Amino acid sequence: MSRRYRTPGTTSRREFIVGVGALGVAGLAPFPGIVQAQGRKNALLIGLDIGDSITFDPARLAQYSSPMTVHNAYDTLVTMAPGDYINLKPGLATSWEYRPDGKAIRFKIRQGAKFASGNAVTVDDVKWSIERVMNLKDQPAQYIAHVDKVEIVSPDTVDIVMKDPTQPLLTILAAPSFSILDSKFMMTQGATAAADAKEADKATAWLNSNSAGSAPWTFTAWERNQQIQLARNANYRGEKPGYERIVIRHMSESAAQLLALKRGDIDIAFNLIPEQIATLRGDPQIEIIGTPSLDFIYMAVSANAEANPALAKKANRHAIGAAIDYDGIINSLIGGSAVRPVSFLPVGVNGSTAELTKQIGFQQDLAKAKKLLADAGNPEGFSFELTYSNNAIAGVSYQNLAQKLQGDLARVGIKANLNPIDQVNLRTLFTQGKLQAVLTFWNPPAVENQLWASATVNRVAKRVHWTPPDEMMKVVDAASAERDLAKAAVLWRKYQEGMVDAANLFVLIQPTYQIAVRKSVAGFKPTAAGWMAELGATKPV
Amino acid sequence: MLKYLTNRVVTAFVMVLLATLVIFLIANTAPGDPALAQLGDLAASNPEFVKAFRTKWGLDLPLWERYWIFLKGVAHGDFGISIMSQRPVLDDIRDFAPATIELATVAFLLSVIVGIPLGILAAVKRDSWIDHVARFVSLIGVSAPTFWLAFVMLAVFYGWLEIAPGPGRVDPIAFLPPKVTGLLLIDCVLAGDWETLRDAAAHLVLPATVLAAATLGLITRTTRASMLESLAQDYVRVARAKGLPEWRIVLGHALRNALIPVVTLGGLAYASLLTGAVMTETVFSWPGLGRYTFRSAVAVDFPAIMAITFIVAVVYIAINFLVDMSYAFLDPRAVKR
Repeated sequence: MSRRYRTPGTTSRREFIVGVGALGVAGLAPFPGIVQAQGRKNALLIGLDIGDSITFDPARLAQYSSPMTVHNAYDTLVTMAPGDYINLKPGLATSWEYRPDGKAIRFKIRQGAKFASGNAVTVDDVKWSIERVMNLKDQPAQYIAHVDKVEIVSPDTVDIVMKDPTQPLLTILAAPSFSILDSKFMMTQGATAAADAKEADKATAWLNSNSAGSAPWTFTAWERNQQIQLARNANYRGEKPGYERIVIRHMSESAAQLLALKRGDIDIAFNLIPEQIATLRGDPQIEIIGTPSLDFIYMAVSANAEANPALAKKANRHAIGAAIDYDGIINSLIGGSAVRPVSFLPVGVNGSTAELTKQIGFQQDLAKAKKLLADAGNPEGFSFELTYSNNAIAGVSYQNLAQKLQGDLARVGIKANLNPIDQVNLRTLFTQGKLQAVLTFWNPPAVENQLWASATVNRVAKRVHWTPPDEMMKVVDAASAERDLAKAAVLWRKYQEGMVDAANLFVLIQPTYQIAVRKSVAGFKPTAAGWMAELGATKPV
Repeated sequence: MLKYLTNRVVTAFVMVLLATLVIFLIANTAPGDPALAQLGDLAASNPEFVKAFRTKWGLDLPLWERYWIFLKGVAHGDFGISIMSQRPVLDDIRDFAPATIELATVAFLLSVIVGIPLGILAAVKRDSWIDHVARFVSLIGVSAPTFWLAFVMLAVFYGWLEIAPGPGRVDPIAFLPPKVTGLLLIDCVLAGDWETLRDAAAHLVLPATVLAAATLGLITRTTRASMLESLAQDYVRVARAKGLPEWRIVLGHALRNALIPVVTLGGLAYASLLTGAVMTETVFSWPGLGRYTFRSAVAVDFPAIMAITFIVAVVYIAINFLVDMSYAFLDPRAVKR
């Protein structure tokens, strides 16, 4: 087939256009394109909603879809293999260790690695790249605010010195924002890592359609709301990808992605909803790859007595926790492809498993819910306002979820009044602590327990008018500073028990993202680490 | 005539000002905070970050001052920087407008070229089969929701019959011609890239048909009604009495007068096609202005919202002006009055 959207024996597009008639372009009717069919075999075509992309400058990354491009074009010091979000893997650093005084981490830098330009990766590039993030002072800088300086120890060794060594760093350095850039080359493009980088750096525009990294791919083009292109990095140190280029097509509608995937116009569809995934099962040409995410949808319930006196009583909030049909939500709204963590640490990170949720998480128990209501002095139940936006996450619309919760709570006499509003308004009102209860979504900028936990005891706690006890704060600090994973896991369990006891946050759905991939593609590895997929080993079969 | 023109320009100027002022006030009454729409959770909770953000985008200034800055910018042809894309709004619009102009123009031509003859035929052959066909086509066009129609077209012609290309402006792996006008059809011709020209033209068929549907229906119905009215006029009877051939009566006498409401409607329809293609653009992954407008509104991106409002107001007023001018040609009495 010379062109995927034309099958022999069916009407040609010339006939189609003439049939539609009167368009005025009939004379331009297309013929099969041999050149493009050739190109298509060498290109990996991905359908993805990239409407949120603002920048591909690693030091400014803050969006959802752009990290995939950045991660596949740049290496970081350390990284995470798909599926293992607890143990770090070497990136441009081959090994690392805390210094005896605990204030710095020493990295051995890989020798022989080259950037796409052909320049060798050196310790200078490492120092320059981290300092550029710090001095640009854009959003990623906050995650390494506790870094004091980067010191070159020898031509293959770098120390990152911290102001506050109890704060975690290694896991954060795996995020695409902390990519290592080709500093010699970048300086010719107007980049600087100096103290005045916030004003003096002029390289973001260049980085928005090019890359200067050492990963298997180089980023070659970005047309807003249209497409992203990557080309194979000829200087990559390892085995090269089997495709010459990747085209990420902007497709904001999942139905359009589904059609294009079925027709072979794209090889991978990222944004299909559960019902569409169901229609693809049994398709001999398409494989569904499920990857458990680290994102989740949760309900936050405020303890603000002025807003709602009933919700201010802890027993009433526990009654909500005991009335929700958790399994029903996961089975009916997302077809079972989700898990549920105890609280704000997603299943898959250190100290959080689905098993633990069964032991210490909220469970549906209507008799207990009614008893709790009676204990709180509200045996007839109470009513509250549940606010949510008109969006959908992983194909689950907040509207459907809110209705399901409304039904569950009604069974014990709790009346949830539904209040759908716009997402930005919701975020504004929620951040200001003005909402009684809200359905929303969480995905962290890096896989680091402390980022989830400190959010709950600091920022989110304010939004729900909860003052965490001192002990809770100490547990979070101790767990974040603990470098022994097993000991840390014990502390994280304590944190989760405290969160359940406070009963302000009810984590409902941690979706398993379902990605549909044509079987003509091999080596595609989705990940939950924040950059969606590893594309370095992809090849046509 | 000069006085008429001056009047029009002054009114246009006031209208544009009013439109921007109203949108500015409405956009500012929503509780949504652009800082929270753009910043990550940690940044949004850091008062220093939020303060820096507000200062950077001038969100901390009083309302009237912000509006004044907008007006001053416009006077210098500067619409400011989009909060969402973090680059000049005009660059954004320059990127996204050509795709919409191309789509809207093809859709408009399609609805005029099909709609007017169909309307004339329906009027001349009233209550014949062609009148029924025309009624059916316009009914479907006007009443089918764009979103639904777009999916059905895509599913049938792309997914099932496999005779039309899928979403987007060109094939995913096509190499685009050098950007001159941004209008792909024209750029392809300039570059002599016939392969991509065919591809781009084919990609236009479905979205243009969907977008044309509603306008086509309106134009057909209006042409028919207006023609029926004209055909019943005395001068048509006189023309018939003089023994003129029927086609000259229809096209020469009746049509010219019947066209006035159609031109008015057509002008407005073209303006609305240019500014209101959000649904079609979404379904067909069309990188146009409609989608950009929608996203700007959702993200409370004030500079982008204001620039788009300004441009939409100017487009409507300009097209209205052209429509008025065309009356002079169609009906010389309009100027004398």
